[in-house]
Amino acid sequence: MKQYTHIDDIITSRAPLVQGLPKTVYPGVEAEGGCGVTGFACSIPVRGKHIFEPSRQMHNRGNGRGGGIAAMGFDPHMLGVSEAILEDDYILQIAALEEGVMDDLEARFIDPFLSVDFSERIPHVEDHRDIEGLEVRPPEVFRYFIRVKPEALQEFVSQNHLEGLSPRQAEDEFIYQNSFRINRTYYDATGSQKAFVLSHGRNFFILKIVGYAEQVVQYYKLDNFKAHIWIAHQRYPTKGRVWHPAGAHPFVGLNEALVHNGDFANYHAVAEYLRQKNLYPLFLTDTEVSALLFDLYSRTYGYPLECVIEALAPTMERDFDQLPEAKQGLYRAIQATHIHGSPDGPWFFIIARNDTQNRRLQLIGITDTAMLRPQVFALHEGQVQVGLICSEKQAIDATLKSLAAEDPRVGDVADRYWNARGGSHTDGGAFIFNLEESGAGPLERTLTCTDKFGREITGPADQIPYLPGRVYYLVDSEEKDRFDISEFFHLQRPDLLHDYVKAGIRAWDYADLMDCFKEIRGWASKGDAHFEVALSALTLLLDRRYPTYDKRRRSILQMLNHTLEVILRHFPSLSREDVKSTYRLVDWETRQFFRGPTHDEKVLIIDAALFPPEGDHCDSRLLAEAFHRGWRRFIVFGLKGQRFHGCGLGPDSGGVRIDIYGSSGDYLGSGMDGLSIHVHGDAQDQLGQIMKSGRMVVYGDVGQTFLYGAKGGEVYVMGNAAGRPLINAVGRPRVVINGTCLDYLGESFMAGDPYAGGGFVILNGIGFNDQGGVEPLPAPYPGSNLFSLASGGAVYVRDPHKTIDEQQLNGGEIVPMEERDWNLILPYLRENERLFEIRVETDLLQVNGEPRSPLTIYRKVRPGQAQAEEMEKDGLTEWTEG
Amino acid sequence: MSLSRDSKYKLPEGVRTPSRFRNAIGKYRLHRSGECIGCGKCAAVCPYGVHVIRRGRVRVENAYRCVGPDCPHPCYEVCPVQALTLRPNPDFEGLGDFRWPPELLASTWHMAEFSHMPPKGLNYKTGNSDGGFDKLRLKFPVPAPGSPDAPKTDEDMDVGVELNRRGDHAHRVRIEVPFYGGGMSYGSVSITTMLSRIRAAAALGTFCCTGEGGYPDELKPYDDHVITQVATGLFGVREETIQRVKIVEFKYAQGAKPGLGGHLLGEKVTPGVARMREAVVGYPLFSPFPFHSVYSVEDHKKHVDWIKAINPEALVSVKVSTPTDVDMVAVGSYYAGAHIIHLDGSYGGTGAAPDIAKKNIAMPIEYAVPKVHGFLTEEGVRDQITVIASGGIRTPHDVAKIIALGADGVCTGTADLVALECIRCHNCESGRGCARGIATTDPELMGLMDLDWGTQRIINMFLAWRRELIRILRRLGMKTLKELVGRTDCLVHLDYLESR
Repeated sequence: MKQYTHIDDIITSRAPLVQGLPKTVYPGVEAEGGCGVTGFACSIPVRGKHIFEPSRQMHNRGNGRGGGIAAMGFDPHMLGVSEAILEDDYILQIAALEEGVMDDLEARFIDPFLSVDFSERIPHVEDHRDIEGLEVRPPEVFRYFIRVKPEALQEFVSQNHLEGLSPRQAEDEFIYQNSFRINRTYYDATGSQKAFVLSHGRNFFILKIVGYAEQVVQYYKLDNFKAHIWIAHQRYPTKGRVWHPAGAHPFVGLNEALVHNGDFANYHAVAEYLRQKNLYPLFLTDTEVSALLFDLYSRTYGYPLECVIEALAPTMERDFDQLPEAKQGLYRAIQATHIHGSPDGPWFFIIARNDTQNRRLQLIGITDTAMLRPQVFALHEGQVQVGLICSEKQAIDATLKSLAAEDPRVGDVADRYWNARGGSHTDGGAFIFNLEESGAGPLERTLTCTDKFGREITGPADQIPYLPGRVYYLVDSEEKDRFDISEFFHLQRPDLLHDYVKAGIRAWDYADLMDCFKEIRGWASKGDAHFEVALSALTLLLDRRYPTYDKRRRSILQMLNHTLEVILRHFPSLSREDVKSTYRLVDWETRQFFRGPTHDEKVLIIDAALFPPEGDHCDSRLLAEAFHRGWRRFIVFGLKGQRFHGCGLGPDSGGVRIDIYGSSGDYLGSGMDGLSIHVHGDAQDQLGQIMKSGRMVVYGDVGQTFLYGAKGGEVYVMGNAAGRPLINAVGRPRVVINGTCLDYLGESFMAGDPYAGGGFVILNGIGFNDQGGVEPLPAPYPGSNLFSLASGGAVYVRDPHKTIDEQQLNGGEIVPMEERDWNLILPYLRENERLFEIRVETDLLQVNGEPRSPLTIYRKVRPGQAQAEEMEKDGLTEWTEG
Repeated sequence: MSLSRDSKYKLPEGVRTPSRFRNAIGKYRLHRSGECIGCGKCAAVCPYGVHVIRRGRVRVENAYRCVGPDCPHPCYEVCPVQALTLRPNPDFEGLGDFRWPPELLASTWHMAEFSHMPPKGLNYKTGNSDGGFDKLRLKFPVPAPGSPDAPKTDEDMDVGVELNRRGDHAHRVRIEVPFYGGGMSYGSVSITTMLSRIRAAAALGTFCCTGEGGYPDELKPYDDHVITQVATGLFGVREETIQRVKIVEFKYAQGAKPGLGGHLLGEKVTPGVARMREAVVGYPLFSPFPFHSVYSVEDHKKHVDWIKAINPEALVSVKVSTPTDVDMVAVGSYYAGAHIIHLDGSYGGTGAAPDIAKKNIAMPIEYAVPKVHGFLTEEGVRDQITVIASGGIRTPHDVAKIIALGADGVCTGTADLVALECIRCHNCESGRGCARGIATTDPELMGLMDLDWGTQRIINMFLAWRRELIRILRRLGMKTLKELVGRTDCLVHLDYLESR
């Protein structure tokens, strides 16, 4: 009971803060949509420039009217303070928007109560106009390392009856309230704005401007400033001609900085809820409300993180039923108490948190229960550990690339990539990267990753990543020509070359492997025929899963990517008139020489590296133009999230093939009608939307709303699909997904009768272990909604243990597999086998090593007959004037 | 920015196109008793050809054209034997509803037949809904100011609208009349209805939207006048259909039922509809209420970029309903690269949208339009984007009012159907569909309407609208429709007359 009084005391003590504020929150909330969010945590402090590239690549998720970053976990020397001060003091950072306001502010809010251990005006570029595109002058920022004066704290405690709190808790509260007063005095969202508090927590700070996030790094000269955790936000506000830095993310509670992608439908309800707790948003965005909520739950209520997450993103429906009973009791209590404060609608938070109680730093990603915003997590294990959370995978790739360029201990491929399933019983929709103290001082921490329930996510054990600094000795017997690969080239057998390298990995060390790739590279430059062998073999190595023994897959992939890029860049560009080659290269610099193919030119290689991600000058527009000029084969590489590849080719694109290497972007192949696309790696969101015909193969995972509104085509996905795959698909799409999906697979699927040419999805529910072996997932489909409201087609699920139940179906029904079903899907599984080496007999038709009949292993879900009749009666009909 | 008018453009001719039913419905009934002596006086005085003399006998053949007591030469008064009695037509009163009262229906039918406003006897300006446009009146200066340099002929008055104001690489598109046809999908209306609307649009130098039910091949000859819709169900949307047209419309919501998806009943999914939408015959079809790939403004930008990747020259129109933050939606669409923001208010919708949605969700269009107009002006981008309003635009007076409130043009829907003799019976979705063969996919019912007849009816109605709009402009002393945009001072609201 005692603890409740403390909570009440804290809440009561805040009553004077909100006195005089209107009962309901000012209605003119600034509208903003989703935005670009990115963040990473690193076991060592790294420079600010590494947040620069991912931010820049997510320009198209913001509009340059609000950008911000937070940095957490510093090297004390970089800030000019001692380790103890950094550890114990609050860093109060104030943005001054008016000259001279600070004297008054210091006299009223700092000098009387706070002892300042160190203060400075933080340095910045002299003239903001020197930074390209930065139109609005960023605020002057003042930084104070402070503690509350003992007598001031004493008075605060006795005045508010906070004796029950620990001195630190009381001090935290004092700091919070003091900053609120500063904001109320100097900042009025709809009136005069002189200064505001950017952040006031320990061991982290926030900076924000009217501009893009990376301009914060430039303007405040953070390129070389080091921190363990960096988060950045590109804002996309749509209201008001004059924007204000105070409205940009991140927002602060006390010891956490929060960025947000999405927007709540219930901002006012949540604000109302906070009002009852004497909390009041002053900056008119739902993000501030989110930060206040988080702080309320974690600091005022003292909830453990799991409960904070549950209060924000409640576990619902079937997922709730799947929880252990004890957990259900706890969660039910949390939901009953806090459901009114639960943000509703699309949102995704990235939070940098100084968990002062447990002396660790955290990077947290939480996704909403309905999984409406895109998000990717990644873990990089090794001597330097990195945890990453981003809106798009390409931002993760950009971060790792930037880090790898500076520190060879970091690779440019992560060990694991995954999506969170919001509000679920499987992972809780949230992942936390913890930076624990390792005992080696503030500059060396240990990174661990857990989901909401505390289950740990680790990298592959017992495998060693490549370290460039390490010396690999050449054994005496090894000579220069130790790789006997010439015959593969003479015989034109890439498959044998692939087998040779695969077999070699076991005995070779990284140096051997590198030499082997170098050898292949050498052969590749000896003419088009040899190049083709090299390309096919390397691509197979990139695409397939195989045992890597003591080596990390990510290190091998890194080498492969590098080798491929070198080979592809080597081809003559279109600017050169003097050479003949079947393969021609075009890149940003030589795009002006762009032309149709001559009779002996067959393949256009597009180096996408410097192209913008969309618009009139993007490389996918160039590709479409090239198609219309007569090119039919394309290889696109060096991608950094460029979008729309394979769009705009129209219906006469049969026979066209596009191979995609690198971080492909959204809307890949959306609209494709005839062509075939091979994605060598993970694909992004909105893949194959409205696809009509053709073929797509993805050697990895696919993102949100995969094949939305598709009409046909054949698609093979080696890994998982995120949320909402195949919604509203009609016609005859035929799809194999080897992994699983987050949720909502095949909602409103309307693809006819599979026996009579209609469409279907095969969901295998398998994954790969760290040695490339096929392993069934714990459940092929954990989502609560499968094939809801579908009126045609079917889903075939590999579900030997009968885990799919009626509760997951809303209108669909599970029916026994028949022989003709198996005959229908087998050809697709055979093709799947050919593409991904996922063997029908040994990988799919065995359960615990025992062969079983396909009719008992696969289960069929089809539209319920009762449902079809029920829907006929529903009153809602499509209206016309529309 | 301003483009010279397309010199090739020529206004189509109005051709009288009477009702396709034997007994057209009129406001009055004239009864001729046995007393009639066949003197023919009635036929001689009637200005509207109600009476016809055939083989020495006089008959009432066109009673629907009778204007009743408003007639300057009432036949029943000149009849020497008092054989004629005038009575209101009881069938007439039962037609329509408050938004489309019988007089509005009858006057629209008149326009569709004669390409002119009805002469007398019918209120063709407003309905009886007691709100919305029915409470607004245009305020004309007395006497009409007149403009010395106003064009002499109606043909030279400019009521066209530029649709691409961004000045980007997309097509320069100008419509010659300030309206185009709103989306009605194949499946919800018959192919004849669809073609009639599109052919009329082509003749009038404007556009017509396909709705979300696909792009039937029959429309191909009119590609340059088609707007193809990309709606939440993505039915029938293919690269090919996007590449064919000059304007692509995103439908995020419909004013008649914002927040609700579509549902086409299984019965309406005939083999033709199923083929077009690539779905299963006899199974109901759903459109989700949101775009699953668009949950924010940056997703929306990506969505617009996608269409531009497929068809770089297409104009992008964004159709939204009217939530309270519609102004933000509009400016967000502008920054996302849209050329047209299309606000769909809640007065639209025929029988199919559920009442609970129609009457309770969105903001009335006459509030939304000035809000958006003002906000875009404040942002300094009003001249970069075209604002189109729709949802219950029934008459040229509605057009003038909404333009005075801040729109550049309008989209029509129900009015087109009324021109095809829709009687607003609200049974679009029941049974085999529309009993008048307009909103149906039943092959037999579809046969009730002839394509040329339908096309001409719609052309006639819009020619009448254009004439009336020009008359309004002249009375306001304006030369072009552009001058009227945002001129709220030209309007009065009946509820606030005293305070002015």
